[in-house]
Amino acid sequence: MPSAREDILSRLRRAVAQQPTFPNRPQAPYLPVTRLAPDEDLKARFIAEVERVKGTVHVAPDDAAARRTLRELLAGRNAQRVTMWDEAHIPLPGVTALLQELGIERIQGSNAEVATADAGITGADWAIATTGTLVLSSGPGKPRMASLLPPVHIAVLTEDRIVPRLEDYIAAQRAQRLGVFRRSSNVTLITGSSRTSDIEMHPVFGVHGPLELHVILIENLSEMG
Amino acid sequence: MKDNFSRSVIIALNDIQLQTALDRGTTRGVNNRIVAMGETTDANALRHQARLARERALNHLPDLLQQLERNVIANGGHVLWARDAAELNQIILDLCRKHDVRRVTKGKSMVTEESELNHALEANGIEVTESDLGEYIVQLAGETPSHIVFPMLHKTKEATAQLLHDKLGMPMTDKPEDMTRFVRGVMRRKYLEADMGISGVNFAIAETGTIATVENEGNNRLSTSTPRVYVAVMGIEKVIATWEDYAVLVQLLARSATGQRLSVYNNLMSGPRRADEPDGPDVFYLVIMDNGRSRILGTEYAESLACIRCGACLNACPVYQNIGGHAYGWVYPGPIGSIVTPLLLGPTRAPKLPYASSLCGACQAACPVEIAIPDMLLRLRRDLVQAGDPTPGWRIGMWLWATAFKSPVLYRLGGKMAGMATRLLAGRSGKIKSLPPPFDAWTKQRDFPAFAESSFRERLKRRRGKQTDA
Ligand code: SF4
Repeated sequence: MPSAREDILSRLRRAVAQQPTFPNRPQAPYLPVTRLAPDEDLKARFIAEVERVKGTVHVAPDDAAARRTLRELLAGRNAQRVTMWDEAHIPLPGVTALLQELGIERIQGSNAEVATADAGITGADWAIATTGTLVLSSGPGKPRMASLLPPVHIAVLTEDRIVPRLEDYIAAQRAQRLGVFRRSSNVTLITGSSRTSDIEMHPVFGVHGPLELHVILIENLSEMG
Repeated sequence: MKDNFSRSVIIALNDIQLQTALDRGTTRGVNNRIVAMGETTDANALRHQARLARERALNHLPDLLQQLERNVIANGGHVLWARDAAELNQIILDLCRKHDVRRVTKGKSMVTEESELNHALEANGIEVTESDLGEYIVQLAGETPSHIVFPMLHKTKEATAQLLHDKLGMPMTDKPEDMTRFVRGVMRRKYLEADMGISGVNFAIAETGTIATVENEGNNRLSTSTPRVYVAVMGIEKVIATWEDYAVLVQLLARSATGQRLSVYNNLMSGPRRADEPDGPDVFYLVIMDNGRSRILGTEYAESLACIRCGACLNACPVYQNIGGHAYGWVYPGPIGSIVTPLLLGPTRAPKLPYASSLCGACQAACPVEIAIPDMLLRLRRDLVQAGDPTPGWRIGMWLWATAFKSPVLYRLGGKMAGMATRLLAGRSGKIKSLPPPFDAWTKQRDFPAFAESSFRERLKRRRGKQTDA
């Protein structure tokens, strides 16, 4: 008896054999979906889009300011336990030292343990301006759970990681032969805070994912000359 | 499914709670989509682009499925194939045994609704929890989803609060925020205890063997990341060729489904946790199910396989707006359901569904992949007539209208149903040749309050004018 696989594939081959199901129509170059002004300020657009989807962007002119913001966020929530990506993957030196100074315990290990953390700190591979999206890939030192289980997710990002559109992010991965999608078991595009519209299509924020999303955006040094 | 469409429609139209929920829900849905599509570079060009991406995928379906399979395996995952729903359930049961699974959390999956997987697992002593808020509440109520994107669209917030109070002891509230927070607490424990996570698939990208899911709550991310075994379940039509196709499709899906630029979490899963990764599932399976789809490919209904399940055609449909999802009797409601259900289950199992439409075209106009739903409904009616269907279609159409006309929720329905009826009447012949009895009765009762809608009167006058001219 042929396997289910052989059965299905041979049926499909028969179906497409005679003639293609749809006429082969030429595909024009793809039009990107989101509008973008020629002189669009990507940073401003990114901030506006994140805030539309109930995330908060904290702009930091330099590392010291970024650390101050991080300190305020953690202290303001009375965080006792934090889970985080390895410092090498967070574009801000001194996070571990800051946690020690604040007497915050760093949680690693099983999901159940990580779930007790008050906040998760991560970097981000890229950010997408026109949709207000963060791109996080999994990898060594980059646990998925840090952006998923704690009630507060804090992502640290430098301005040069902002691309205009989702299409630009895909083009950049294409240029790298799509390696990230083979290397990382998980890539997540995060656009705002966890939400639902299940009850009468009324939007509610903070469902199963983090209740709060904070982005610490470190401005480019080059801009300051 | 049983063919009790007529009965379900009467029940639906008389259910005030359902009517309230539908009214609040579908109106928001339609508005959100129109705004979001209007904000794009060029909505019609993008819909066409998305359509072509889906056509190319269907033209190369067997090759793309094999490419997908090769790449999932290269990523360290396993691929299993199911001819039908029974095989799918058996495969998952076998996986549960093999991996000693007691508890399962599920992200949204229409395919496992087709196979009624939850029943199969529960019958074998495995605890299954739907993790999407709406799906969970539907499961708690012992019901089935009534919308493909908003499963509990048939429920008001008041009924939801009562259910959570009765079943789980939630303090009574009328705030969706409080209900959501309460369910979050309940679900947290479930994720951490689950041995297996199961999710549906929105797109499977062949060139890298990546499974894409689309969600807003985080439940899908949790279901696919926390348990040690992750099983993704897809229909054969979900495969797409490239990441560029993904970029356009996923954005149109979000805009059409909920009016968002992107859904909150777009999860891209390529195999199990790598040796050097700190977390994620240890094992990954992709199950690919046919269940009647291969029969549709190569026929004049093939474009129904292009559907990306955004739900826009449901929200836009005057029939769905009035009868809700359950009356359609199976997993896929609304205009696309009226096509897919008879195609997948066989035409005699759902003979009335192709008539549950006024052919007004709102579905096709809303569809992000330009599916010609009214054309296919007409072809299905033709097929039914040719197969000797005993019930002429127009009678069902008229019945639907006349029934709605008499129902107690007439006041709010008036405009919508009337528009639907005139379009239905005109749709048959292009003109209304004679006004049937209930319609005729109404024209005598000029002061009938529900139909004070002037646009309807104008339309009626226009139609009658046309009739005299002819
Ligand atoms: S038929 Fe079109 S509008 Fe309806 S659910 Fe499918 S993709 Fe969406």
